[in-house]
Amino acid sequence: MDAQRAGIALPDWRAQAAELQPINEMFDAQGRARPECARVIAYLLAMEPTRLAELGERAQRMFQTMGVTFNVYGDHDGEERIFPFDPIPRIIPAEVWAGLESGLIQRARALNAFVADVYREGQIIKDGVIPRDLVIGSQQFRPPAAGIRSPGGVYITVAGIDLVRGGDGRFHVLEDNVRTPSGVSYVIENRRIMTRLLPELIRALRVRSVESYPAYLLACLRELAPGGISNPTVALLTPGLFNSAFFEHVFLSQQMGVELVEGRDLVCVDHKLFMKTVHGLQRIDVLYRRIDDDFLDPVVFRSDSLLGVAGLTAVLRAGNATLANAIGTGIADDKGVFAYTPAMIRYYLGEEPLIPIVDTYLLRDPEVRASVLRDLDRYVVKPTGASGGYGVVIGPSASDEELAQARQHIEAAPAEFIAQPVFPLSVHPTLAGRVADGQAALVARHVDLRPFVLLGGRPRVLAGGLTRVALREGSLIVNSSQGGGSKDTWVLEE
Amino acid sequence: MLRRIAGSLFWAARYLERAQWRGRLVDVNYRLLLEVPPREAEPWEPLVRITAEQELYATLHSQVSEASVIDFFVFEKENRSSIKNCIEALRTNLSPLRHLISSELWLAVNRLYLESSRWSAQTLAANGVSAFFADLQRHFYTIEGIIVNTMPRDLAYDLIELGTMLERPDNVARLLDVKYHYLLPRLEDIGGPADLRQWAAVLRSASAFEAFRKLYGHAITVNRVVEILVFDPTFPRSMRFCIERLAQVLASIAAREEEPAAETLPYADLLGVLRAGSAEQTIAGGLHEFLIGIEAMYARLAEQVFDHYMALE
Repeated sequence: MDAQRAGIALPDWRAQAAELQPINEMFDAQGRARPECARVIAYLLAMEPTRLAELGERAQRMFQTMGVTFNVYGDHDGEERIFPFDPIPRIIPAEVWAGLESGLIQRARALNAFVADVYREGQIIKDGVIPRDLVIGSQQFRPPAAGIRSPGGVYITVAGIDLVRGGDGRFHVLEDNVRTPSGVSYVIENRRIMTRLLPELIRALRVRSVESYPAYLLACLRELAPGGISNPTVALLTPGLFNSAFFEHVFLSQQMGVELVEGRDLVCVDHKLFMKTVHGLQRIDVLYRRIDDDFLDPVVFRSDSLLGVAGLTAVLRAGNATLANAIGTGIADDKGVFAYTPAMIRYYLGEEPLIPIVDTYLLRDPEVRASVLRDLDRYVVKPTGASGGYGVVIGPSASDEELAQARQHIEAAPAEFIAQPVFPLSVHPTLAGRVADGQAALVARHVDLRPFVLLGGRPRVLAGGLTRVALREGSLIVNSSQGGGSKDTWVLEE
Repeated sequence: MLRRIAGSLFWAARYLERAQWRGRLVDVNYRLLLEVPPREAEPWEPLVRITAEQELYATLHSQVSEASVIDFFVFEKENRSSIKNCIEALRTNLSPLRHLISSELWLAVNRLYLESSRWSAQTLAANGVSAFFADLQRHFYTIEGIIVNTMPRDLAYDLIELGTMLERPDNVARLLDVKYHYLLPRLEDIGGPADLRQWAAVLRSASAFEAFRKLYGHAITVNRVVEILVFDPTFPRSMRFCIERLAQVLASIAAREEEPAAETLPYADLLGVLRAGSAEQTIAGGLHEFLIGIEAMYARLAEQVFDHYMALE
């Protein structure tokens, strides 16, 4: 009864036909420029066509010279790649952003309250709002998190909330990322590139700055230091050079002016956390970690992990350091729990959700499962525990074989999958390189948006976020590990 | 500063220094052979000995030829000290610590790395060997200039100096030793044109030729070459200069700690030997033996410095 309890009715496919058409972010159905995009479009159209075509190549060269790269798992050939960048900006008008910002803060606060609750009283479960087994049975539930208190009650310091814009033009939440969300460094680097590529346009439109994100993050981390520490030492924990987001770890530590540490740099002594420096051990008060729970502490989690530091959990339990994000926050971005997030917002905040979520069906419910399996080619199926687009099956574009395999997986372990009706992700004009005569061609590609919300002494939101674009024609998967690229996102001043 | 980061800076400096020596060695040898028809059967052989990489070389090449030696020194993937690998190691070491170095330095290193990743034997053929090395040397001088001019004189800078001042004397020692040991001319040739040409090449390999002229005049003798490369306190590529700098750098690092430990590091004996020695005495006592001894002392010092400031366990 999960879907029903979460207040979700299965879709009537015939009735929805019109809404399934994706909108274009820059042009309306009649092909007219949307008002907020008019100046950008006029500017681009006035450009020498070959200069427009060159924009992408110039951006590419700048990224390469700056060494802005990411690593791809399982790709031994080219260890470092440039995250493909599309120079056509995505525009968000001030009033739209104002609404999103409130909705994002609301959502982050509710998810945070959920984490605080499930690892202590579990009141939301007792009150029957979320089924106990869905929480306890999640791959992301971490019993060792019980009993660790975070200063100010903040467990989710950084949230990356993936938004998609539907056929009705409204933004919906597609999924939450509240473990170690990445991508923010590209937002800042993209902007640095764009201010060099199209400086006059950025100035003319009065685009809101994204530069202050590292300062915001550092402020939040410092506000979360254990009580009584006036000048806390913050460090960023990375799994190292071979992680796909290593560039970002370097970038953020550099921008914040904090040490970038690996597990081997750390040691726990007397329930306190230290880093090994040239002149001896130095205490760490707040650790912004960019490695998964499983690798944090071989004493409590995976004993074969060399990435973390033995004894960290005990340090946290003793209240001698703060970990951001806290252990176990993944329970709040579990894709099964996702179906209950609107209920969560009502439960903890007594407010109506400001941003709707994409309809989500839990396949553990036999009736829901039967219904979804009947129309499997109309759904996107996602494993509840995975992230980064891994293991996702997109019904309409999957082969019969892939569908049969998905069906098999679902029937074998129904609780490990959710289904969402294929969502008509909006499209955005995107530069498709040069066509035969050396001129630029613009094509429509699907986009999403990952804004970043920070919780500390007070919430802070980066203006805009990372617009990801699926560069392959028709593709709905925007993840960088799956052939996606990015665009600069321009939130306009009032 | 993290010990791991300190190690990265230290090794970045060593690789930068090493790559430069490799470049100069090959370049000088190449030019030497352009001017004068070689008398020896294989004039490239000593280069392989200088770097003590004969064994690896032998597994990769059945014979010593100009093309294969240049390939081995510049491009060879298997050779950890090939210039290409040194540049990659330089970049890999600096990459995670961009916050400690200037963005100019990172850009210059990254640019060199990107260029080197496109190198192939054709690059040399297309541009010409001399132009290739001249260009490379410019890259290195740019990087060094940026280090000197953009980095504050803090611990990071000291660690870079430390790496440079430990790597450099090692290269000087090998260079001298090979000339003295393997290129030993017949008695009647000592002081002859071939001998002088070789000593001049040694000086050029250490970028010491003009400095030598200035300090010691025109007559190149073994004694004077040893004097400038080993005992001269003013020439930046002499062993004496390096150990004096090293002592200053270690003192500067120690000054930042509460319990200075640099006193326990064994640089005092090296300092003593290089301050007190002279070329004449050294050659009389056997230059080869002297250099072997110096290299051993340096190896011990480098190990202790690393353990003391950089090792994680």
